[in-house]
Amino acid sequence: MRFSGVFRPKTPQIDMTPMVDMAFLLVTFFLLATTFKTGEVVWVQMPRSVAGLNLPMTDLLTISVDKKGQAYLSMTSPQARRAWLQKHAQVNQITYTEEEYKAFELMSGFGVPMSQLRSLLQTPAEERKRFKQNGIPIKGDKNELADWVILARVTIPRLRIAIKADANTPFRQVEDVINTLTDINVLRFTLITQPKKLEDNAGY
Amino acid sequence: MLDIDEIPNPNRMRRMGKEKGKAGITTDMNSMVDMAFLLLTFFMLSTTMYRPRGMELVMPVPDDAETRTQEVQAVKASQALTFIAMPENKLYYYRGLPTPAGIQSVSYDKTGLRQLLQEFVSETEKPVVLLKPHPDCAFENLVILIDEMNINRIARYAIDKVSEEELALLRAAGIPVPTQ
Repeated sequence: MRFSGVFRPKTPQIDMTPMVDMAFLLVTFFLLATTFKTGEVVWVQMPRSVAGLNLPMTDLLTISVDKKGQAYLSMTSPQARRAWLQKHAQVNQITYTEEEYKAFELMSGFGVPMSQLRSLLQTPAEERKRFKQNGIPIKGDKNELADWVILARVTIPRLRIAIKADANTPFRQVEDVINTLTDINVLRFTLITQPKKLEDNAGY
Repeated sequence: MLDIDEIPNPNRMRRMGKEKGKAGITTDMNSMVDMAFLLLTFFMLSTTMYRPRGMELVMPVPDDAETRTQEVQAVKASQALTFIAMPENKLYYYRGLPTPAGIQSVSYDKTGLRQLLQEFVSETEKPVVLLKPHPDCAFENLVILIDEMNINRIARYAIDKVSEEELALLRAAGIPVPTQ
């Protein structure tokens, strides 16, 4: 459309530059603040409590106990996981390949006896979900959970240990884990819970 | 969508001298904004805002079993309250020493357990609470008990095993006790 003379309407233009600036600033912030969630090795329904102790995002070893009382271990950072497996290999005189270390770095947690660890690591990542993990042996002739925890503490001196047990796990199973920890002189640990309001009833 | 508004022609520039400050090139930022906000939304949603929370638990040194029993014995019976958590969300308690008549039942909710603890704390000097979860009770029950200790600011509490004597008392009171 052509207009003649002085009157020439223009489509209103908004300067988007500051908006782009702001949007990218926020993107950068979230990009740096994000820690990608890795798939949990086992899903547990945590009990609720009003306790408000924030757990650290690094240097944390979580012992998950599911409903059946099987124990799983997970360590927060990939670098720590690699160092942990290196210590484990050194102590037990096993050699792992670079691919196996990589697999362990990417795995958020595991729950297999030592004898099955290699086959778990060799399973392709997408098939690992179907790998039957029956928990880390606590009872029997060798308490492997204790060994793993000791190695983790050696690897990271300022490690925090947390127990993430299912609300419906029979106490005896959690007690086994707690006794394992007290036996190796880990006397201070955290029970992971879900937040609850003070006014809420316990639920019974 | 790049508009080249004006060609920097010196003659023309002189003519348009009044309209200074106008850039020669304007870029349409709309698509860039779209993309930036798309990324922003993605990262916002993928960020784990949830941080795990927990309660700190400090266990006594296991080697000190002897000193611990002495310590427990040193507590006056009037200061002590013992909870026995049984399976199926049943909770029993007694004050002082275990007697057949002393064992009572209480519910886990705030009108039961919390009120009981509030009364106990207000009328007792230096209260001591013993938590004795039965091996078959749910883990949640112990968490609720520890939580109530923190809520009622009971600093002195300990987790212990249920003794045979206490189980016998429960059985005598007609409370079903699972056999090990």
